[in-house]
Amino acid sequence: MTAAELAIETRGLTKQFGTYAAVKDIDLSVPKGSVFGFLGPNGSGKTTTIRMLLGLASPTSGEARVLGESMPGANSRVLPRVGALVEGPGFYPYLSGADNLRRLDSADRYASSGTRRARVADALERVGLSAAAGKKVKAYSLGMKQRLGIANALLTPRELLILDEPTNGLDPQGTREVRNLVRSLASHGATIFVSSHLLAEIEQICTHAAVMSAGSLVAQGTLDELRKVGRPRVRVETPDIQLASGVLAKLGMTVQPAAVDDSATDVVAVFGEKPAEPDAIVAALVRAKVRVRGFALESPSLEDRFVSLTGEGFNVDH
Amino acid sequence: MLAALAAVPILIAIAVRVTRAGDGGGGPAFLDRIENNGLFVVFVALTVCVPLFLPLTVGVVAGDTIAGEASNGTLRYLLIAPAGRIRLLVVKYIGAAAFCLAATLVVCIAGALIGFALFPSGSVTILSGDTVSLANALGRSLLVALYVTVSLLGLSAIGLFVSTLTDVPVGAMAATIILSVASEVLGQLPQLDWLHPWLFSNYWLGFGDFLRDPISWSNFGTNAALQAGYLIVFGALAYGRFAAKDILS
Amino acid sequence: MSKVWLRWAPAAAAIVVVAGAAIAVPTVANASVSLPAKTPTQVLELVASSHVRAFSGTVEETSDLGLPSLPTGSVPSSVKGGTSADIALLTGPNSLRVYVDGPTKARVQDLESLAERDVIRNGSDVWVYDSKDNSVGHSTLASRQHFVRPGSAPQATTPDPTDATPAGLAKKLIAQLEPTSNLSVDSNVRVAGRAAYDLVLTPKVTDTLIGSVSIAVDAETGLPLRVQIDARGQKANAVSIGFSSLDLSTPAASLFAFTPPAGAKVTELTKDASAGPEAPGTSATKPAETVTGHGWDSVVTVAAAGSLGKLSQSAEFGELTTAVAGGRLLHTSLINILFTTDGRIVAGSVSVARLQEVASAQ
Repeated sequence: MTAAELAIETRGLTKQFGTYAAVKDIDLSVPKGSVFGFLGPNGSGKTTTIRMLLGLASPTSGEARVLGESMPGANSRVLPRVGALVEGPGFYPYLSGADNLRRLDSADRYASSGTRRARVADALERVGLSAAAGKKVKAYSLGMKQRLGIANALLTPRELLILDEPTNGLDPQGTREVRNLVRSLASHGATIFVSSHLLAEIEQICTHAAVMSAGSLVAQGTLDELRKVGRPRVRVETPDIQLASGVLAKLGMTVQPAAVDDSATDVVAVFGEKPAEPDAIVAALVRAKVRVRGFALESPSLEDRFVSLTGEGFNVDH
Repeated sequence: MLAALAAVPILIAIAVRVTRAGDGGGGPAFLDRIENNGLFVVFVALTVCVPLFLPLTVGVVAGDTIAGEASNGTLRYLLIAPAGRIRLLVVKYIGAAAFCLAATLVVCIAGALIGFALFPSGSVTILSGDTVSLANALGRSLLVALYVTVSLLGLSAIGLFVSTLTDVPVGAMAATIILSVASEVLGQLPQLDWLHPWLFSNYWLGFGDFLRDPISWSNFGTNAALQAGYLIVFGALAYGRFAAKDILS
Repeated sequence: MSKVWLRWAPAAAAIVVVAGAAIAVPTVANASVSLPAKTPTQVLELVASSHVRAFSGTVEETSDLGLPSLPTGSVPSSVKGGTSADIALLTGPNSLRVYVDGPTKARVQDLESLAERDVIRNGSDVWVYDSKDNSVGHSTLASRQHFVRPGSAPQATTPDPTDATPAGLAKKLIAQLEPTSNLSVDSNVRVAGRAAYDLVLTPKVTDTLIGSVSIAVDAETGLPLRVQIDARGQKANAVSIGFSSLDLSTPAASLFAFTPPAGAKVTELTKDASAGPEAPGTSATKPAETVTGHGWDSVVTVAAAGSLGKLSQSAEFGELTTAVAGGRLLHTSLINILFTTDGRIVAGSVSVARLQEVASAQ
C-alpha cells in the first residue's frame, strides 16, 4: 500500500509523559476510504494517539502523517479536512447547541460564514438534534452532548473523521443511529477512524481494525485478516478435566489455562499447526477413557483474538 | 462582572448624597468635589476601582482566556477547528483588552449618569484650579478612560500568559490578581524606588494628568511604553508556552 | 531539544529587545556631546549673559539625603507644613511644571498623584491653589517682590520668578559659593535633550558635607538646566534638580490668567504670609534667622517658632533624629540640623562639632 493511499500513517510514534510511555513506537496504516476501528481497553493509549494525529500533542519521537502531511506541522492545511470528536464533547454550557456549533465553526477560518447557519442546521439534523438546537447545552443529556459533538465534526464536508468513542453514553437507539451515520459517511468516500473499547461496535461497522494494548499496537489489518490469525478450537465437556487435557495436548493442541481447574466442567483447546480431524480427536478421547459428555468445534472469533492480544480487563461485552 | 463595576460609582454617589459627607478630608481623592459637580463621581469611582476592582475583574477575564477553554473542554475543539494557536492567543488577548475598555467605560458612564442624576452638572474645576466647560470635561473623562484601559493592558498580557500555564481557570485568575496586588504593594515600598518605574501598576493613578491644564502627556507616553513592554514580553512568553503545548484537557 | 529552544526564542528575543530599549534609550540620550571647549570663567559669563525671558518645561527633583525612607503617605500633615523643611520634598522624587513669561508672569505646578498645587503670578497678583482642599490663596505684590514655589519655606527676597527652576537655584548657588570654590568644567552633558556644559564647583574649605555642585549650562542660551549636589562619601546625587523637558517658546497667556474656581475657599494673604495657605501660623510668627560665616560652611541659626514643640513630639521626629550633646540631631548626607535643648535650630552643611560650636557661642 503506498503512502498516497493512506489517510493516516504513523511511524515509530511515541509519546512519553515523564518516564511513563503512553504510546510506544506504533506504526498505524489507515487506508483511504476505510472504516478503521481503533480498539483497546481504557488507558491503552488510544486517545493520546488521536491527540497526536490531530496536532494537539506533539510526539516525543516518531512521525504522524495525516492526509499525506506531517502533524503537527501541517495543522492549518490538514485540520480543515478533518472532523473529530476527541475524548467526549466539550461545549459552553450557557450557549445553545446551535450557538456552540456556530462559535466553533467561526473559529475555523476556512469555513465560510455565509453558509454557517445552513451548515449548522444540517449538522444538527443529521444527528437528530434539530428539536433541541435552541436549548442550552447544560440542559442536554450526556447522549445529546455526544450527538452535538458528532454534529461538530460534520459541520463541513470532511475527508477524514476521527471519532473517539462516538457511542459513549448513547442509548441503543442512538448507537444504531451513529452506526448508520458512519456507514452513510463511508459510502460517500470519507475515511472514518473510530476508537472504541467495545468490540461489538467495531465488528459491526468497520472494514479494518487495529488493537492497542498498554501503549503498543498489537495487531492491525482488515477484519478478515485479523480473524484468520486465530485458529479453530475444540470444547470438550467432561468431568475428567486432567485426563482430557493430557490427550488434547498430545495431539499438538494448546489447552487454555483457564480450563485447568477442578471445578470446571469443560476443556478448551486451540488447534496446533496441523489441525487433527474432529473425529480423530473424539476417538482419541474415548480411547483414553475420557467421559465425553459434549464436544464442539468452534471457529475463531475476533473476541478471542482480542482477549488473547490485550489480556485481562478488556471489557468485551459491555 | 460589569454590573458589579457599575455598582461602584452608584454606591459612592448614593453614599455621598445620603450622608452629605463632603468635609473632613480623608477618603479617596475628589470625594469632596462631588457635591459641586456630579462628574466627579466618575473620578472618585475610578480612584477606587483602578487599584482594586478593575485589576480584579481584568484578572478574572485574562486568567480565564485559555485556562477557561481548557477546563470547559472547548480548547481542543477550537484548536482542531482549526483556530490556529497564535490566532487564538491574539483573539483571546483582544477580547481581554476589549473587556478592559468596556469595564472602564462602564464605570465612567455609570458614574456620569448617577452623578448628573443626583448632583449638579455644569463647568468643572480641574486639578490646576482652572475651570473648563462640561463638554471639555467630558472629553477629558474619555481620555481618562482611555488611559485607564491602556494601563490595564500589561496586566491582561500577564493574565494571558498565566492562563496558558494551567488548565484550572481559578488558579490562573488568582495568580494574576495576586501579581497585580504584589506589584501595587512593591510600589508602596520606598526602599524599592529603583524598581517602581518598572512595575506595571506604577502609573495606574496617573490619569489625573488629564485633569491638569495643559494636559500632561508625559505619563501617558511612559505608561503606554511600559504597558507595551509588558505586552511584548508576556505575549512572547505566552506564545512560547502555548505554541507547542500538549493539549491534554 | 532544539525545538524547545525554537519556540521560546521569540520570548527571549522580546525580553532582550525590551530590556535593550529600556537601557539604550537613556544611554542614547546621554551620549557624549561635542561642544567648543570653554573655561569655567567663560561658562560663568555664558550664564551671566543668559537672557531667556520665556520658557516652559518640566522640572524633576530627586534627592537621596541618606534619610530613612518613609512609606508613602505616612508623613503627617503637621510635619508637612512644618518650619524646617518639607519632608515630602526631601524624601521623594517630585515633578514640577514651570511656565515663565518675563519677570512678572509665571506659573509653577507641583504635580502630585491625583492632586496639584499651583502658584501663579500674573503681574502683581499671586495666586496659590491647592486641589486637595480646593483652596485659593491670593496676595497682591508690589512689582518684583516675593515669589515662592509651592511647599517651599518662606524666602525673604527672591524677586526672580525662575527661582523654582534649576536656573534660579543655579544663579543663587553661583552667587553664594563662587568666591569660595574651585571651578572646573566637566565633560559635556545632555539635559532635556539639549547640549550643555557641566560647571563644577568644589569647595575650597574642607569642613563641609558637600562634595561638589555641578551645574549644567545650556550651550545655546546659557540657561542653567540642571543642578546636582553631591555629598561627600555618597555615590548618588544628594540632590538633583533639572529640566526633563524644556520649551523656549512663550507659554500661552491664558496659563497666567487665574480666576478662583466656583466653590473654592479664597483666603486673602498678607504680603508676608506667602508660604501658602497650609501654614499660615508659621509665617505669621516668622522667626529670626542669623547666619554665621558665608559660603560652603555657613551655619544658620533660627530661634524656633512654637510649632517646633508639636513637631518634636511626633514619632517621626524621634525616629529621624539622634541625641547628641546639646540637643537632637537630624543628620542627612548634605546637611546637619541640630535642634538644641533650648529650642533653637542650628543648621548647615557642616559637621556636628561645628554646629555645636556655633550653638554654644551664641
